[in-house]
Amino acid sequence: MLLGIDVGGTHTDAAVIDSSGVVASFKAKTDHKNLLNSINQALQGVTSGIDKTKITNINLSTTLSTNAIIEDRIEKTGLFISAGPGINPQSYSIGDCTFIIDGSIDHRGNIVKPLNREEIEKGIDECRRKGVKVFAAVSKFSTRNKEQEVEMTGLINNDSDFISMGHSLSGQLSFPRRVATAYYNSAVWRIYNDFTNSVEQSLADLGIKAPVNILKADGGTMPLNMSRQFPVESILSGPSASIMGIISLCDITEDSVILDIGGTTTDIAIFASGSPLIESNGVKLGGIPTLVRALQNKSIGIGGDSEIIVSGKEVTVGPVRRGPCIADGGETAALVDALNYKGVISYGHRDKSIAGIKKLASNSKLFAGRIADEAIKYAVNKVKDEITNLLLEINQKPVYTIHEMLEGKKIKPERIYLIGGPAGALAKAIAGNIKAIVPENYQIANAIGAALARTTIEAELFADTSTGRMIMPSLGIERQIEKKYSLREAEEDAAAGLSEYLMAHGVDVEKDEIDIMQASSFRMIDSFYSSGDDIRVRCQIKPGVTMKLYS
Amino acid sequence: MLTAKNRTGLIFFPAYDWAISATHPEREERLLYTQDQLIEEGVFDIEGIFEMKPDIATETDVMRSHFCFPDVKKVTTESHMISAGGAIRGARAYLNGEVDRAFALVRPPGHHAMKSVHGNRGFCNINNEAVMVEYIREHSNIRRIAIVDTDCHHGDGTQDIFWHDRDVLFISIHQDGRTLYPGSGHLREMGGPSAKGRTINIPLPPSTSEEGFLFAINEMVLPILHDFKPELIINSAGQDNHYTDPITNMNFTAGGYAMLNDRLNPHISVLEGGYSIQGALPYINLGIVLAMAGIDYSHVKEPDYNAERLAQDPAITDYITSLRKPVLENYFGPHADYDRPPDGEFATRTKNINYDTDGIQETQQEYMMMCRKCRGVLMIESHSSVNPLSAGIEIPVDACWRCRRKGASLLKEAVKSGKFQTIQLIDRPEKNYERFSL
Repeated sequence: MLLGIDVGGTHTDAAVIDSSGVVASFKAKTDHKNLLNSINQALQGVTSGIDKTKITNINLSTTLSTNAIIEDRIEKTGLFISAGPGINPQSYSIGDCTFIIDGSIDHRGNIVKPLNREEIEKGIDECRRKGVKVFAAVSKFSTRNKEQEVEMTGLINNDSDFISMGHSLSGQLSFPRRVATAYYNSAVWRIYNDFTNSVEQSLADLGIKAPVNILKADGGTMPLNMSRQFPVESILSGPSASIMGIISLCDITEDSVILDIGGTTTDIAIFASGSPLIESNGVKLGGIPTLVRALQNKSIGIGGDSEIIVSGKEVTVGPVRRGPCIADGGETAALVDALNYKGVISYGHRDKSIAGIKKLASNSKLFAGRIADEAIKYAVNKVKDEITNLLLEINQKPVYTIHEMLEGKKIKPERIYLIGGPAGALAKAIAGNIKAIVPENYQIANAIGAALARTTIEAELFADTSTGRMIMPSLGIERQIEKKYSLREAEEDAAAGLSEYLMAHGVDVEKDEIDIMQASSFRMIDSFYSSGDDIRVRCQIKPGVTMKLYS
Repeated sequence: MLTAKNRTGLIFFPAYDWAISATHPEREERLLYTQDQLIEEGVFDIEGIFEMKPDIATETDVMRSHFCFPDVKKVTTESHMISAGGAIRGARAYLNGEVDRAFALVRPPGHHAMKSVHGNRGFCNINNEAVMVEYIREHSNIRRIAIVDTDCHHGDGTQDIFWHDRDVLFISIHQDGRTLYPGSGHLREMGGPSAKGRTINIPLPPSTSEEGFLFAINEMVLPILHDFKPELIINSAGQDNHYTDPITNMNFTAGGYAMLNDRLNPHISVLEGGYSIQGALPYINLGIVLAMAGIDYSHVKEPDYNAERLAQDPAITDYITSLRKPVLENYFGPHADYDRPPDGEFATRTKNINYDTDGIQETQQEYMMMCRKCRGVLMIESHSSVNPLSAGIEIPVDACWRCRRKGASLLKEAVKSGKFQTIQLIDRPEKNYERFSL
């Protein structure tokens, strides 16, 4: 049996699933001051009637790191960066403990200028005085050569509880994103590890011995042990839990739009030929771009509890939520109340919804019916516009080869899948001519998605046959290669590197699960003669579910 | 987070699957390391910098500025249409107000492509800037345009296309033609009989450094631009003046390019040459992008930058200083041609054009009607080692009625004569771009 828990903004959902389907589910209120409490409640609730020893795997999606960062409850972190020439490195500093260290590496991974050790020592001294115990060390182009990050780490080591090195978090380029990712990884390290310790304790107390995995924003999981080194990878996993839920609940094979209509927001995701699109660079957290991989997902301020605002003859909805809708005992008329008024749904205290809309009407020049109609229309159009914009953005994404420019596939959704409270009520209006599908069990799609998500990982390989070096920075692989090293060997090495790495963390990988996303080889020319090949491979284990629940 | 002062559009199209030949300098990975550098610097994440997908130029876009023999398809590949489309995308983003500045980092380049095209010369088939300029004039009221070409090679193609155009000021700063391909771009080349002083050449000696380039910009280009008052400034941003470029002999730097761009302050830049793809392009392109966006570029330096080694020889400084007077005279007081024909008659010139890349020889006779009211109707007769005698007739933008009628009658006669394999018509007032063949 598989257990999934999703700690969301309002609810903490849990589900237990076996080969016959959902065995048990439980919904607890999320207590933001004590997430562990919410998890314990959900755990106890969902396992109360089942044999706990039969649970074979636990996947947990939690907002802990996300909230810690957004609410600025993070630990003071010493950030050491060596940037070399380029954009003014001062613009990359985060917090008040950033130290810019002289030294540089070029885009080929050559060390151009050695690190200034004095500057590092000075930084360490200052951190010591300030009592800083966690650090991040990042150098520009460290994904091509990790030496300077390793050197900085070596010097800091004695004074630190934890250090994040940029290259170990991702093999992708983008120095500012690497800086932010490493910084936040260290800044949430302690709070995250304390939390996971408590979770493990709770499970032990409950007598659950199954291995625990943590959900990531890319719709996959990582083993709990691994996550202790990479806590930043646990951010923004919420939307992906729902998306993975839909994958297991519906047989999606074509280009599709996925809508998760919640209380405060509607999350939009796009599928291409049945697979969720992945954000190409990494997710933004509170406006800050990171290298954390995520499913492409756009959140807009329209949800069931979004406030209806009447101003003159104009009726708008959201983006503000002032507590629950009137039908749920709230004070402010919201989208759900408009749907209740029109009789599209009958939810909670419908009579109170009707009274609420009538009260709005009495304070305006519009009839109650008109207000409800306009509110629904506004919400529907807003969602539709955002879908159109998102598709436009995706279809206009730059490409870099003539082939892609001419043959590039455009996404044209043929279906819309909707989940969340008001999903059924709005399905037809939003979908228009496109086929709308509202799966069963959608209320706990997030917990189902969490339970069934599989391990994912992504890694880059970079090889230069002129210098005879191959590296896979995020996996810590680096070795000599021969002059005749080929793209094919590189692809094989990348796949092998990936599976061995996961194996070492206790995850078995089938060879055919590894997907080569990009593979390129450029002949490098020096003064009209070939000097070697520049080989790059990017591979991944795609997000997927261990089991499909549709028949 | 960094924010750009100017909203800047980057049209980045490296064409990773296209090259002239296996070891040619204009090859697949020319922009690979530039992309690495721009991504690693986080340029595409800067607020106010937008990456844009190029348009694909249409045959009409090309036929607006070129006579292609025998036709557009035969002398271009998809790569050229996308590269020109990249420049068009930049122009479009500027015209519709999406951005304040645009930089088309596209390849293949275009500034050696002339009015008539039989094939590839100097790595270029069609002229990206010219195609863009005609797109702008067709889709907006912008008329006065300045193109400043800072590629190390003389922009002979762009010069040829706008030779007779008094609304387009073309300035080329390059390594002296006596020492480098294509061999032209001398001081005395200063525009056709009706557009004297609208072509300005600044030939710099080999080993010119930052000091010399910035002197040319400050003391020659800027005063001329100040007087011309263009509505739009375009920079043909070639990057082969760099001290590491393998096929030129200059000593310019990445920081220098950024400064140059900052002072020139072009609305749209289009990448041209530049073949030091590891040691120069990543840094120059970064410098230009930052300068255009209005972000501090003072930390942009090549890893092997050495100010002392790149200091300019005093003799070179003296020589460049001495260029100032004749260059400014060419613009402010150009002498009219002594043999300039009267109004309504044709000025003629004969050109022999060498297509080095494709090994084609073209012989061309050009007839330009002198007109007081407009730019005048143009006709060329051209044959080459790959095409029999062909003709091109152009009725220019905003042509007067007499020139429009003249163009129509020239076309009629040309078709009737039966001596041209292909006739290309550019009729800008009617927006009619047609090809007639035997």
